Amino acid sequence: MENGKVRVGFYALTSCYGCQLQFAMMDEIIQLLDKANIECWFMVERDSDEDREVDIAFIEGSISTEEEVELVKKIREKAKIVIAVGSCAVHGGVQSWGNDKELEELWKTVYGDGKVKFEPRMAEPVEKYIKVDYRLYGCPPEKKDFLYALGTFLIGSWPEDIDYPVCVECRLKGNSCILIEKGEPCLGPLTVAGCDARCPSYNIACIGCRGAIGYDVAWFDSLAKTFKEKGLTKEEILERMRIFNAHNPKLEEMVNKIFEEGE
Amino acid sequence: MYIPITVDHIARVEGKGGIEIVMGDEGVKEVKLNIIEGPRFFEAITIGKKLEEALAVYPRICSFCSAAHKLTAVEAAEKAVGFTPREEIQDLRDLLYIGDMIESHALHLYLLVLPDYLGYSNPLSMLDKYKKEIEYAMALKNIGAKIMDYLASRPIHQENAIMGGFGKLPTKAQFEELKRELKEALPMAEYTVELFSKLEQYKEVEDKEMIHMAVKPRNGVYGIFGDYIKVSDGFEFPVEDYQKHIVERVVEHSFAKHSFYKDKPFMVGAISRIVNNADLLYGRAKELYAQYKDLLRYDNCFANNFAQALELVYFIERAIDIIDDTLAKWPIRPRDEVEIRDGRGVSITEAPRGLVAYTIEVKDGRVAYADIITPTAMNLAIMERHVRMMAEKHYQDDPERLKYLTEMTVRAYDPCISCSVHVVKL
Repeated sequence: MENGKVRVGFYALTSCYGCQLQFAMMDEIIQLLDKANIECWFMVERDSDEDREVDIAFIEGSISTEEEVELVKKIREKAKIVIAVGSCAVHGGVQSWGNDKELEELWKTVYGDGKVKFEPRMAEPVEKYIKVDYRLYGCPPEKKDFLYALGTFLIGSWPEDIDYPVCVECRLKGNSCILIEKGEPCLGPLTVAGCDARCPSYNIACIGCRGAIGYDVAWFDSLAKTFKEKGLTKEEILERMRIFNAHNPKLEEMVNKIFEEGE
Repeated sequence: MYIPITVDHIARVEGKGGIEIVMGDEGVKEVKLNIIEGPRFFEAITIGKKLEEALAVYPRICSFCSAAHKLTAVEAAEKAVGFTPREEIQDLRDLLYIGDMIESHALHLYLLVLPDYLGYSNPLSMLDKYKKEIEYAMALKNIGAKIMDYLASRPIHQENAIMGGFGKLPTKAQFEELKRELKEALPMAEYTVELFSKLEQYKEVEDKEMIHMAVKPRNGVYGIFGDYIKVSDGFEFPVEDYQKHIVERVVEHSFAKHSFYKDKPFMVGAISRIVNNADLLYGRAKELYAQYKDLLRYDNCFANNFAQALELVYFIERAIDIIDDTLAKWPIRPRDEVEIRDGRGVSITEAPRGLVAYTIEVKDGRVAYADIITPTAMNLAIMERHVRMMAEKHYQDDPERLKYLTEMTVRAYDPCISCSVHVVKL
């Protein structure tokens, strides 16, 4: 803290900048930032510096270059609380959907024999390299996720993690079930709640942008079983679940289990 | 001997990029826009994936224009499978896209550009002296966001825009609410035009050789979707031919490629749309165009800021017209079934910051080939030229001023750097 104001940094790795945009677009930000000093936030502040100490560091984006590995280590050293923001920072992001292929293959498809002077890497979540204190799920996270986390930190408290799936919110809204009634591959049963079942409420199957629930309770296996009964192949199930969960160590093991049992 | 200038991380743009100015004995030797954001390989990672899932992933190339990416990808996919949406669905896609335009222009003009002109390092600190401007920025941004919220589930990464139409449409009452708020926003947009008409357009970057590229709007009204591309040199080509006319090259200092037309850099964006299609404007925007024609210069990238302000007025009026048409046709069926067949589709539309091109080839329900060129990737080569022009005029100035002027030049393009690191097959 400095002059009674909390020092905040917002840092970007490789991403679409949507989490920062969501944060910057909140009308409430004007009141919130009145109680904060922005030490680093390149998207809005020209006088930004990644080397300054902060109380709260928000990091969005996945680690996708060698430089970004160094950057997150530096941020960790200078920050009291590190918050991984959004699907890229928390789970590696949609760019991790490609980690079923080799980096060289991806590079060749896109850049051919072209060379650039920076060193690319396969996208990874921030937690692979540093300790993360709190996660804001979503692609992008909801405004209320930001408000809740920042609000609790500002009063010296600690936010709770969400441990129930999108289905809970969907049932509470009284939507008809896209998975059971329409047979579409909805990922609601294993995805962290908090979006108020946004997509199913628009008749769109959940693609799992908030990532699978933690605490080893993500029901990859039971959902895979339901998908299998609906006629999806193992590859189709894995592909869909991997869009936002490519780095989840449990995914493949639990889906495999269902297919081994059935054989 | 002059100190070389490096801006490691250009502030107040979307994405991570830097400016590097290398000095030689006789002034500026080299100017580079370093795009340091990591690669995300969008085309490569979606190859072999299910079409619907790929369509959910493509918009995540960029948050500032996720609606633009979504709708362009969906149109390319629909063309690939041989599906044409109903007219009222097309109108609603226009409306959704306009929501993105309004939000993106308001954010760019007020929060990213204006602080430079008013001498602030960030927009929030402007609040004491420029409360009205910040309030207008938030209100304009909010109406754009609300259009995207109601029509497509949220302002960033809209899932409710799919092949065949929408999962669900807003209610009649929601459309009426949007119309009411758009009407309230119109005077704010006009104020924006007035405000930006007074800002300096730096003559240092005047470039008589500028080439502008924009869509030739499909329905004869200034807008977003089209089947042909108009070039300011008089040439026109069908969107399907873009790979012949927009040629990309890998450059060593950037994860994003540079684009060329007839071996020359070219510009896309709001000013390019006006240069090519001003005769299609109507309503209040047409009057304002006549009044401020001299500021909408083809040869100056700074005119892009003013062009965006003018577009705010245009798109607000256009959105009101689309809502009126939609309500006259009410009720509207949200979605038609789309049969997934093999094929190849190309779509180019006008994202807030210029042309975005998609080619999608579908085989057995999966993406067999994808090519995406984003507006910033198209603009990078000419942006670098104009940063160089600015640097050549000011290299003897105080380094801070040189940084400030070159950054402002980049900002005038409203670059989406994340977006430019898109990845394209050669």
